[in-house]
Amino acid sequence: MSLITSGYFAPVSVREVLSLKRRLRDKALIVAGGTAAVQLISKMIVEPQAIISLEKVPLDYVKMRANSVEIGATTPLARLIHRKDLPDALKKAVESIHGLALKDMATVGGNIFTPAPAGDIATALLSLDAVLILRGARGTRSVQLSKFYRGPLQFNIKPDEILTAVRVNRPPRMSAFLKQTPWKYSGPTIASVAVGLDLDKNGKTRRAMVALGGLTTHPYRAKKVEKMITGKKLSEQLIEGAAQHLTDGVEVIDDALASSWYRMRVAEVLFKRILYNITAGG
Amino acid sequence: MRIRFRLDGQSVEVDVKHTETLLRVLKDRLGVGSVHFGCGEGSCGACIVLIDGRPRYSCLTLAGYVDGKEVSTVAALARDGELTEIQKAFVENNAAQCGYCTPGMILIVRALLEKNPSPSDEELFDALAGNLCRCTGYVPIINAIRSVIKR
Repeated sequence: MSLITSGYFAPVSVREVLSLKRRLRDKALIVAGGTAAVQLISKMIVEPQAIISLEKVPLDYVKMRANSVEIGATTPLARLIHRKDLPDALKKAVESIHGLALKDMATVGGNIFTPAPAGDIATALLSLDAVLILRGARGTRSVQLSKFYRGPLQFNIKPDEILTAVRVNRPPRMSAFLKQTPWKYSGPTIASVAVGLDLDKNGKTRRAMVALGGLTTHPYRAKKVEKMITGKKLSEQLIEGAAQHLTDGVEVIDDALASSWYRMRVAEVLFKRILYNITAGG
Repeated sequence: MRIRFRLDGQSVEVDVKHTETLLRVLKDRLGVGSVHFGCGEGSCGACIVLIDGRPRYSCLTLAGYVDGKEVSTVAALARDGELTEIQKAFVENNAAQCGYCTPGMILIVRALLEKNPSPSDEELFDALAGNLCRCTGYVPIINAIRSVIKR
């Protein structure tokens, strides 16, 4: 193998990506769709000696199995549009990313790493309790998305690993996603909420996953809220009470786009809207 | 690195840096006039080109990506000086005010209509969300597009 350490690399397999990564280490920037990574270069935030482009790695796929969905990391969002077999939360999150060119470029895997005000797909996947498939030199491991974020731009991934796919096992029977942007057809996310729910035959919540995006650098699960609504019938009182705890223990972003107070109020409204829609049979 | 690609039907070869964007290469090295720099972050659509028929922001595409591919700008649309239907509709509806966003608008509409010849308004607005007109001349733009949509 050559010892060239700079330039543009377009490997054709995961194995090749891993060997390049091992060789180039932090000299290389990995680029999937480019919507986030290329901005790092053009805004002179990073100056990589090498580019590892994933354009030719065969990770652009959707595999439906009896009770799971697996999506390759470089699958562009456009590929997921008009698919009726995806969980609702994911479908709605993809639809909420506006613009033909953006949907054609941005990838599912890239979205996992991109901080707020992006990350809507990651928020939806969190509410589906998705698992990330990571491949490294020593094999494959899977990490729950809810255990992937360790802090701002800090992830549970090793330097010699790459994200190859996202998998949703046992998707919840019901899921929904709502987001608020400053204007109707596009714009950065002020807040997004995704909920995955399984109800038992008495209408009591058997499993609840509540994910919030846009409020912090990376989306998170509102564990307290999940606990409050699990095992109970979704009454108005319960929904109103739970909505008060969506941001417990969380420092919400406060910036020019929206104040933290406003983001929290919007998140509350979206959460309640989702649950009221569900209880109304919507 | 040396890349080769087809630009509006012609073979091109050019030396590029691995971190150089396609937009820079098209504008600064190849003298393409219809591809514009607007925001540099995929919000405005002034730099949109079609790569192998798919719309992409050239400001967010590294030049290395188009090696071996086909890049089309708005200049490739007219045949023997005859404008396409969309272009004519833009002229007739006065949809180009200053003209900066027009090439991107026309390419995104072309990409949309290729996939979906009769989009609803909702689908149209969604597709155009990544293209800004800073003259705010959206009404004539939408009128022009509606005039070529088959309903």
